[in-house]
Amino acid sequence: MPMDQAWLLIAVPAVTFVLVALLNPVLPRRGDLIVVLALASVVLMGLGIIADFTGYFRGGLFTPEGANVFGFDWINIGQGLFVIQFDTYVDGITVVMISVVSIVALMVAVYSMSYMHGEPRYGWYFALLSLFATAMLALVLSGNLLLLYFAWEGVGLASFLLIGFYWERQSAAEAAKKAFITTRIGDVGLLIGIVLLWRQAGTFNIQEIINFAEAGGFSNTYLTVAMLFLFAGAVGKSAQFPLHVWLPDAMEGPTPVSALIHAATMVVAGVYLVARMMPVFDLVPVARDYVLYTGLVTAVMAATQGLVTSDIKRVLAFSTVSQLGFMFVALGLGNVTAAMFHLFTHAFFKALLFLGSGSVIHATHHQEVDQLGGLRHKMPITTATFIIGSMALAGVIPLAGFWSKDEILHAAMTDGPLPVYLLLAGSAVLTAIYTTRLVLLTFFGEPKDHHAYEHAHESPALITGPLVILATLATVSGFVVFSSVGRMLGFPGGIGEVVFTHEPHAFVFDIVFAGTAVASALAGIGIGIAYWKGDAMRAVRARQWAPELHALLVNRYYLDDLYQAVIDRVVLGLGNVVALFDKRVVNESGVDGGAQTVSWFGMRLKFLQTGRIPNYALAMAVGVVVLAVMALQSA
Amino acid sequence: MTETDGYILIALFALPLGVALLLMLLPSRERSALMAITGLSSLVLFGLSVYIFARYDYTSTEQFQGVVAWTWLENVGFLGERGIQFKVGLDGIGSAMVLLTGIVILAGTWVSWKIQRRTKDFFILLYVLVGGVYGTFVMLDMFFFFLMYETSLLPMYLLIAVWGSTRKQYGAMKLMMMLLAASILIFTGIFAIFTEAGVGTFDMEVLYAAEYSTTMQKIFFPMIALGCGTLGGMFPFHSWSPDGHAAAPTAVSMLHAGVLMKVGAFGIIRLGIQVLPEGAVYWGPALITVGIVAALYGAISALQQTDMKLMSGFSSVSHMGYVFVGLGTMNVIGMTGAVLQMFAHGIMTALFFLLIGGIYDQAHNRDITNFSGMAKQMPLWAIFFIIGSLASLGLPGLSGFIAELHIFVGAFRSYPVVGGLAILTAAITTTYLIRMGAQVFFGELSPRWTGLKELTWMERAGATVLVLSILALGLWPAPWIDRIATTLAQTIPGVSL
Repeated sequence: MPMDQAWLLIAVPAVTFVLVALLNPVLPRRGDLIVVLALASVVLMGLGIIADFTGYFRGGLFTPEGANVFGFDWINIGQGLFVIQFDTYVDGITVVMISVVSIVALMVAVYSMSYMHGEPRYGWYFALLSLFATAMLALVLSGNLLLLYFAWEGVGLASFLLIGFYWERQSAAEAAKKAFITTRIGDVGLLIGIVLLWRQAGTFNIQEIINFAEAGGFSNTYLTVAMLFLFAGAVGKSAQFPLHVWLPDAMEGPTPVSALIHAATMVVAGVYLVARMMPVFDLVPVARDYVLYTGLVTAVMAATQGLVTSDIKRVLAFSTVSQLGFMFVALGLGNVTAAMFHLFTHAFFKALLFLGSGSVIHATHHQEVDQLGGLRHKMPITTATFIIGSMALAGVIPLAGFWSKDEILHAAMTDGPLPVYLLLAGSAVLTAIYTTRLVLLTFFGEPKDHHAYEHAHESPALITGPLVILATLATVSGFVVFSSVGRMLGFPGGIGEVVFTHEPHAFVFDIVFAGTAVASALAGIGIGIAYWKGDAMRAVRARQWAPELHALLVNRYYLDDLYQAVIDRVVLGLGNVVALFDKRVVNESGVDGGAQTVSWFGMRLKFLQTGRIPNYALAMAVGVVVLAVMALQSA
Repeated sequence: MTETDGYILIALFALPLGVALLLMLLPSRERSALMAITGLSSLVLFGLSVYIFARYDYTSTEQFQGVVAWTWLENVGFLGERGIQFKVGLDGIGSAMVLLTGIVILAGTWVSWKIQRRTKDFFILLYVLVGGVYGTFVMLDMFFFFLMYETSLLPMYLLIAVWGSTRKQYGAMKLMMMLLAASILIFTGIFAIFTEAGVGTFDMEVLYAAEYSTTMQKIFFPMIALGCGTLGGMFPFHSWSPDGHAAAPTAVSMLHAGVLMKVGAFGIIRLGIQVLPEGAVYWGPALITVGIVAALYGAISALQQTDMKLMSGFSSVSHMGYVFVGLGTMNVIGMTGAVLQMFAHGIMTALFFLLIGGIYDQAHNRDITNFSGMAKQMPLWAIFFIIGSLASLGLPGLSGFIAELHIFVGAFRSYPVVGGLAILTAAITTTYLIRMGAQVFFGELSPRWTGLKELTWMERAGATVLVLSILALGLWPAPWIDRIATTLAQTIPGVSL
């Protein structure tokens, strides 16, 4: 399929959404098959676009240039003064995103046919999946920042509705609210950034803005400010410090949704945005450094929180936050390829882990690791795929996560200051530790809740099928880094030379470096095994070993409490003060006061109207005297 | 637009006034006849409004179209040639406002059939109000403009005082006193324009072409802006609005916040900016300041309101603040945004009041903290309300975003800090609307409300019309923008692109 028909990728799920949202009560099976078919067609069309991009059908004539495909003017004021176009843009970054979004979305939809079976609002759920796919594909295909913002808010809406899918539960309602408001704060920054860029460049088109910036159209300070605002949007959406607090709570949503939106696709939108704007970030080192340190702080912080969390999904959520931090570190170092590569592999293995945890929850109705254990006997496929995903996450060679994380660590080693590398490598070890802990407590050791264990069983094929496919991808997707694999797929040079044509990045395999990385991953796994051995009592002991530290981590560094306090005391307090001001000062003193003043004078003055002739005669006489005096003076 | 369309413009206000007359002759017990007459006329008005909007030709160089005029008084007293004329005509801004009125009255009529007490009298006053509103949007003579303006205000007093709720006497009196006091400013402004132009006519087209001294413009623009701005809910003269809305019956709140407040903003454009552009440029920064303060002030005040109607009222103050910011920018993008916001806010606030009425009429309660889990009991109500909230907080694809985007961009061109604050306001709006939504719709259904029924069919129909309008403007705004932007660029001297 030619690239200029990329808009179909947006249109097909959009039509599906409208159809299923309105008609799901009357559609067969509430329309789930329609959504699955639509997403399958998106996968096929996406493959067609990728093939066209890499020149697969043109005899491998690969020209890795992006193509801006003209759409139409959505708004046009003053013949080009203020124009918003809806257009699509396809380049290497887009291609990576399309493959991730379409494949994971299809897997999740298939999985959901079994996982969500019998849920109320089943059709609505599938409608929301296609709404999300529409917005997410529009986001990655957009050629201009305004359409991107449009889609950005669209995925936020879908996320809000899906986190709050079980809205009868108070916790889900709270989580949806928190997610929407927190990301919206970031979005304020994003919109300010977009308008600031427009103000000077006069266009929303991303490539034109990049050209304008590279031609020196912005002053350095102005551009730094604009890019920092823009980055605020990424911080919110990709759950980076200090706006990361919503993502762990977002696990209130159905598990397949966590896999799709809160692990593989929507949360990487921020990474995508920064990667897309990297030529501009390159011009403002201060903003780029800010990206780097935001990523670093988040990576370390979230990894430590992953160590103590007992909810299986929340462990994975903290892991996602941490891995997103890794990607931002790569971006902060200017290494788009490493970031996009990690995004690519992470999407598969993290979606796998989430879907695997969903399979566990489906079977046991528990999601606290304190209550699981020993499931490997009951759920062999889930266990095997989950272990593959975990090892990919921990970075064990030759699984996908190893190659991409290695790229990031290598970039940190060569391009960044040493502390960055050390902290990042440290959190990579922590990753291996908490992943091991999760696997051991869930699948090994003795079952802690025997009742749940007795009833546990392997999930049906609609669930294990996607798990197997994703496990395969989590194993092999890292190999695209090799140029021979790239050549086979139609693009020579491996992923390094496709993604970011500004700086083609040849893959280097440093045996010593890779050895260190693998050794530290294995060390982490070793520590995990040695410490937990599938024994939940150890977790209790950890609590006793350093209660303050444990409390700090379990309470998420008290950031959520701090924010809550700020909202309750400061924001709502201000609301009370202003509302009181409006009531007392503006209304009662100003408006009613004005009326009362008039009425007071009226009450007093009415007594002048006595109805007695002598009073009036007296007043007239006084008047005559005054007039006479005035006349005499002027004369 | 042709001259024939001009007669349709006349029909737009003659029809509702005629319906009001007809209803006076109708016996009160003829309820079905009443519904037939009002239902039919609301449909006709809606159809005519859509037709007029579609017929307005924005590619033409003539900005006032469908002009029809008869001289009423000339060469008498201080009046010269064409002294006072009965003159109608439409520009692009007016066409958008006519469409808005058509949509809101359609929905407003349907939901008012629920009223049981003195239904006939209610509709008489409602249709007088609607006639006045239409008249204000199409009149091209300042005398008749003012006449129509007042016609649209006066029925409000009775509508609130007789059919309202809570502190209805207080709300009605306060609203009336503040708006009539403001009218004095407008009246003074109109006469100053008349005198300064010195041609003895109230014809707006003549007055637009006349010259005014800079000093005069600087003195009288703020009078017009304050006078009309009070009706537009301009801070700090907004306090009639939340109380008035809280007291008013559903359809009156809808028309009031949906259309009448826009008459105020429209007056600023018609009598102020288009006639006295230099004054508008001079006072632009002040207008922006007032607007952004109102936007923030209204939003922050709304954070802690527990009465749904009061929250919606403060939200209106906040959203109308955006309108003043847009108007104050004095560039086409920002001002287009202001008019779009008038339209967008009109629709969504009408939707809010319709929905709040839908619950209050059954529950006799609209305290946010008293509800939870209502999405279970009244799913349609919840869906409509959430769509309205999303439009209000500026979600792309819905009407609010497109208006606010233009205002942000327009503000950013001249005053980046104001633009930033305006965007920040959108985040506060998100906070209060989502907090309210999560409280009222989500969570477990409180057993107290298991007896509540879903919206009536009439309410559903009205809400659907409003939601479709929200989607239309949000997804395909070009028809509105083309009309508004060309008119602004061509009729306001000194406006920058």
